[in-house]
Amino acid sequence: MSSVKKAPFKHVDEMLPWSDKEDMLECVGWTPEAPDTMTFTFRADKENRWFRYLPGQFVTLELPVGQETVMRTYTLSSSPSRPFMLAVTVKAQKDSVGTRWMQEHLYPGMKIKAHGPRGDFSYVRHPGEKYLFISAGSGITPMMSMTRDLGDREPDSDIAFIHCARSPNDIIFRSELEYKARYMPNFSLGLIVEQLERSQFWSGLKGRVDKAKIALLAPDFLDRTVFCCGPEPFMATVRESLETAGFDMSRYHQEAFATAAPIADMPIVVNEDKDAEPSFKVRFADSGKNVDCQPGFTVLQTARANGVRIGAACESGICGTCRVKCLSGKVDMQHNGGILDDEIDEGYILACCSRPLTDVEIEA
Amino acid sequence: MDIRNTVLRQLNNRREGFSLEQAFYTDPDYFKLDMETIWYRDWLFIGHDCEIPKAGNFFTVQIGDYPVVVVRGRDGVIRALHNSCRHRGSRVCNTERGASAKLVCPYHQWTYELDGSLLFARQMGEDFDKSQFSLKKVHCESVAGYIFVCLANVAPDFAPVRAMLDAYVGPHRLAEAKVAHQSTIIEKGNWKLVWENNRECYHCAGNHPELCRTYPEAPSVTGTQGAGDDPVIAAHWKHCEDAGLPSQFKMHESGQFRAARMPLIEGAVSYTMSGKPAVKKPLSSDVTVGNIGTMLLFHYPTTWNHMLGDHAITFRVLPLGPEETMVTTKWLVNKDAVEGVDYDLEELTHVWNETNDQDRRIVEENAFGIRSPAYEPGPYSPDHEGGVMQFVEWYTNFMIDRLEGDRTKLSVVA
Repeated sequence: MSSVKKAPFKHVDEMLPWSDKEDMLECVGWTPEAPDTMTFTFRADKENRWFRYLPGQFVTLELPVGQETVMRTYTLSSSPSRPFMLAVTVKAQKDSVGTRWMQEHLYPGMKIKAHGPRGDFSYVRHPGEKYLFISAGSGITPMMSMTRDLGDREPDSDIAFIHCARSPNDIIFRSELEYKARYMPNFSLGLIVEQLERSQFWSGLKGRVDKAKIALLAPDFLDRTVFCCGPEPFMATVRESLETAGFDMSRYHQEAFATAAPIADMPIVVNEDKDAEPSFKVRFADSGKNVDCQPGFTVLQTARANGVRIGAACESGICGTCRVKCLSGKVDMQHNGGILDDEIDEGYILACCSRPLTDVEIEA
Repeated sequence: MDIRNTVLRQLNNRREGFSLEQAFYTDPDYFKLDMETIWYRDWLFIGHDCEIPKAGNFFTVQIGDYPVVVVRGRDGVIRALHNSCRHRGSRVCNTERGASAKLVCPYHQWTYELDGSLLFARQMGEDFDKSQFSLKKVHCESVAGYIFVCLANVAPDFAPVRAMLDAYVGPHRLAEAKVAHQSTIIEKGNWKLVWENNRECYHCAGNHPELCRTYPEAPSVTGTQGAGDDPVIAAHWKHCEDAGLPSQFKMHESGQFRAARMPLIEGAVSYTMSGKPAVKKPLSSDVTVGNIGTMLLFHYPTTWNHMLGDHAITFRVLPLGPEETMVTTKWLVNKDAVEGVDYDLEELTHVWNETNDQDRRIVEENAFGIRSPAYEPGPYSPDHEGGVMQFVEWYTNFMIDRLEGDRTKLSVVA
């Protein structure tokens, strides 16, 4: 007889939440989902930890690729209703580095560092009476997380799930979605594929997403709260379809799954007289980063130096593109008319021309 | 045959006192000609000063093919600009209204001052001359709380409009009011049908039960003739003018705009179901006398209005296509009036929300019937539809004048 492996059993109320500061992730499994697409499942590297997050959030993984560690952000595909495990489902594109490394080198037992979970793309943050989840390619992962969570918490949730894939073989989570369609009474599944291989059977829709297909698969889409994730052209088509149909865009939420472009090198102005000015702490609330601001640095420079992205164009206080909210603390802002007095009263600053005078907290 | 000549011939041979030929209400080419001949050349009421009270406040509007932004500058001056970036043409302001320190094109962040001058364009090279790429200006005038714009290169004289609005609307102090509510409806009918329906109350008894509680059906009230002969109206004018409110029927010689203060049904002072005021605070502290009825103002082709003691209702007409017209209604009240305390929004808006919806259905049914191949122009009621005849006459005269004017110019060039 085989020996029985003794697993420590604990109830979730006997455990502590996993923390990205103290704990790591341990890979416990990998599952091929579709060509170049795999799900990696993790548990906490300590025994008595559970994962606390919102369905639809993402994590940033530190991947030891070669000599260097690269940071990659992935939406979670797992559900917080099953809090012992965390999973990401990742598709390796042609020129992928991080994801390719995961698919070739990440095996059960390996531990990696992670940051998060974070993000606002969740039905929890934007609740609706009924939902339209619409995704393309690996944009399906946050939708799957939310569907799994709603399936466990509110199985009668009204969800119209539309997913677009290149071909039937590329549909991620297909069998589980079909299962959900059978067991969740108000879950409807609509699949659209772009192409078929020779002799392949397909009874769903074919082509690219458009207004007619959305209306066909979710006739009452105007009444739904929409979550959309996929490549930008796909999301633009969805947005335009909704807008032209008179959809109330305050109920539209989207998540870009492609990583942002690398941050360009930028000149940094350093105050020579370092002793004269103290450095201040800058907390970027949305990014969850606490960093030092070098004397003389602007909020924008500090953001860039630490990988926090704030849009900016003129960088001289004229255009107002870098307007962000300063949640606490004081800055010295020398703008050139790019911000209204009302906006200043509401706590907004222009990051390009604001230098901290105290520790500050910035909404970015 | 050239469409201009066809239209000109039809207008010249029009049967007076009859509605227009079908094509004027349905044909895309006729619509295009309406736009070019009237809408892109006349002064158009577009919004109110009080909607953009502070520097950087703006609203946008689409007039035919022209996107326009109306913005208040740091100097307090209201300006209208073509809302098309001088870089590659993108719309600079893409929300219905907003507040912004500068006008920044979302495409490549070309940044314009609130007066339209280009302040910043990233990396356009050494030789780039910013002064050559300001946002283009649209003629813009503000009078008595009304903002008018004109898309023509050379705008018609605004002085007569200014004089009439100053006198008649001025005392109502709309520049200092606030918009308590606004609604926008789309009527599936030609813009002229919307106007023709507005210019008579022949249809009121059968269609507007709410409005008829307070608004008289008498043609002398809505129409353009006979008001002075009505003793009730004459007495009303005396009552109001004695209190310093210009009230007598006055229409510009072109027929394009008129103002007159008309009594409501006896006992009624406002457009509510009870006839009682909808707002506790009077609209204007300059109006000190009661029972002022309603000040009626129209200016073709964009606006008709009602000004009462407690509130004002303004209407803006914008054509969207040959058979589609947008009508925006705004309810203005004293800026210090508080919703739920000084007025109940439902009570304030009920009558005209219902009336607008009834008018929408009327216009749409009208449009439906006109599409019939069996439609032929029908006679207007001489007793009740003088206002409609006047509108059609204005339309005909303006079109003929301008089409002939254009033809002359063309022959000169040739």
